[in-house]
Amino acid sequence: MKLWDRRTIAGKLMRLNLQVTGTALLLAYLAFLAYDLYTLRKDLISSLTTEAGIVGENSVTALVFDDQQAAQSTLSALDHSPHIRWAVIERADGSVFARYSSNGQPQPELQATLAPRQPLGYWANGTNILLGRRIVFQGRNLGAVYLLAETSELAHRARQFGLLSALILTLCSVIAVFATSTIRHLITDPLTELAGTAQVVSREKDYSIRAPLPKSSDELALLVQSFNEMLEQIQERDRALEESRNALEQRVRERTTELTEANKELEAFSYSVAHDLRGPLQHIANIAFLLQNSGDAGLSDEHRTLIEKMAAGTDGMAVLIDDLLNLSSATTTPLRRTAIDLSLMAESILERLQADDPARRAQWTVARGARVIADEGLMHIVLENLLRNAWKYTSKVDVAEIEFGFSEDDAGTVYFVRDNGAGFNPRYADRLFRPFQRLHSQSEFPGTGIGLATALRIVTRHGGKIWADGQVDRGAAFCFTLPYVVEG
Amino acid sequence: MQMAHSSKPACSGPDHWATAAVCCAVAALLALLAVAAASAQPGGTGYDVKAGYLLDLGRFLRLSGVPAADRRSTFDICVLGHDPLGHFLDDAVVNQVIDGRPVRVVRIGDANAGKGCDILFISPDEGDGIPLDLDAIGKTDVLTVSDAADFLKYGGMIQFVEEDNRVRFAVNLNAVNRTHIVLSSELLRVASSVTGKTPQEEQP
Repeated sequence: MKLWDRRTIAGKLMRLNLQVTGTALLLAYLAFLAYDLYTLRKDLISSLTTEAGIVGENSVTALVFDDQQAAQSTLSALDHSPHIRWAVIERADGSVFARYSSNGQPQPELQATLAPRQPLGYWANGTNILLGRRIVFQGRNLGAVYLLAETSELAHRARQFGLLSALILTLCSVIAVFATSTIRHLITDPLTELAGTAQVVSREKDYSIRAPLPKSSDELALLVQSFNEMLEQIQERDRALEESRNALEQRVRERTTELTEANKELEAFSYSVAHDLRGPLQHIANIAFLLQNSGDAGLSDEHRTLIEKMAAGTDGMAVLIDDLLNLSSATTTPLRRTAIDLSLMAESILERLQADDPARRAQWTVARGARVIADEGLMHIVLENLLRNAWKYTSKVDVAEIEFGFSEDDAGTVYFVRDNGAGFNPRYADRLFRPFQRLHSQSEFPGTGIGLATALRIVTRHGGKIWADGQVDRGAAFCFTLPYVVEG
Repeated sequence: MQMAHSSKPACSGPDHWATAAVCCAVAALLALLAVAAASAQPGGTGYDVKAGYLLDLGRFLRLSGVPAADRRSTFDICVLGHDPLGHFLDDAVVNQVIDGRPVRVVRIGDANAGKGCDILFISPDEGDGIPLDLDAIGKTDVLTVSDAADFLKYGGMIQFVEEDNRVRFAVNLNAVNRTHIVLSSELLRVASSVTGKTPQEEQP
């Protein structure tokens, strides 16, 4: 089977051709031989029957009048019959009346006798056929004649047939060999070329190659043509794809450039706004400070209240400007990753918050060993924002509980800041990280709405993720991941 | 001698048996010969064979130019004169039919009575009277048969002769051709001798 698999198509076709021809010839030979032998034998028996009838008829008087010589002369006429080797005429009692043998051949081994009432019978043994026919004259059984024919003719015929078939088979083989070269020329060569082309195309991914068209206009030509058309289509599609990609890339490049320009302009604008706003604001704040501390310079209580509100407003605006500058730097500052300890950072921030507001009763816990590789300044902004938020939104509970920690997850280490403060409605959790979007009113919890947006930008720039869990009045948890973690 | 002497006591017993065996063998041989003689009946020389042949001759003759309606209802085999065939002929014709007619044996004393027969066997005892008998039959369609010597010379048709201890017959076609009788060529083939010519040969 493997041998069969490995052969070329031409070889397979030749083998198939030979097999079919050989089988057909063998079957035809057997069928013809069988039919011929059958017919020959039938004819021989028929001829023997006739000859036995003639001999019998001619032997009637000889038998009736007991003339063996006459019977003998009747039998000697069998010399003209080519196949009869031996003959005998028996009397009714079974005794031999006359005998004949061609060329003095001895009596054959094949012996048989007709049954008492059997008119005709034949027996075969190897190449011999013995035929017996009863001699009846006017209803009287006079005896029987037995003729023995040699069927060597049959064997001769079989040999001739075999020889002829072998000759035809040889001829067919020769024709098959010649046919194979034609097949190779007509079918295999174009196929091989097609297969070669397909291989080259597949290997080199070069769809500009074409398989050579065969001269004929058969299915093979159609196949090659279709293959070439397919290649052309692929090439066409490739070209279109390439063009489309180029156009897209060009567009992306243009957009990116535009966007970068716009961003730069925006950053420069917001930075300059924030920075340039600082000066006048500081001026206003200074004036407010001077007014507040000028003693009783003829200011009424109402004026004092107004001045306090102005000072508070300038403070809020300073925070807003700081936040805006943070947001700006979160986007523009290049990342400088170093090994830092978030635990220490969180602890120092919380200590500062407590120091700034010593009246607050707060319990905070910081898990040790949160070491990461990240930009220190930016990560400080993130923790500052998250912890300050926690500090702010727990301002209305009796005892604030703030926790910084981390846990191992499938995605890696997840750092979190958890509190027991006001929480938020989880339906709007995605709004938390958008700039200037706030879930609480300014009067409830003051803020700029930029802190979480800044944290999101910084964590995202580090390749991490940030998200929030929480329920209204049940606290909130802000979690983030940072892909680069310092081992050990 | 020594050896023959020494072997004698061993042979004394079977001697008696050998004599008996020889006797048995001789008896068996005689019996066999008797059976052989009996079975050789078709090739014998007696009237039994001739009786059978008379009947068989009837099977090989036909009358040319005689309508079937003119024939008698029986096939008569007549015996003229002293009958040597006796019961052999009677036995032979029992239940025999020739040409669709039952075979009958008729014994006659006068040759004229033979004109009505199909086959007439003339007894050899007729002797010198045979030519007269044949004259009496004349050209009548009767197959004349005899085993008398010179029967053919007298104008008889078929004469039984003995050859090699077998009964055969000679044919005188000239006598046959004077009548409407036609003998089958097969019959002529087995005749010991045929004188005269067949009707076909006679025609120029």
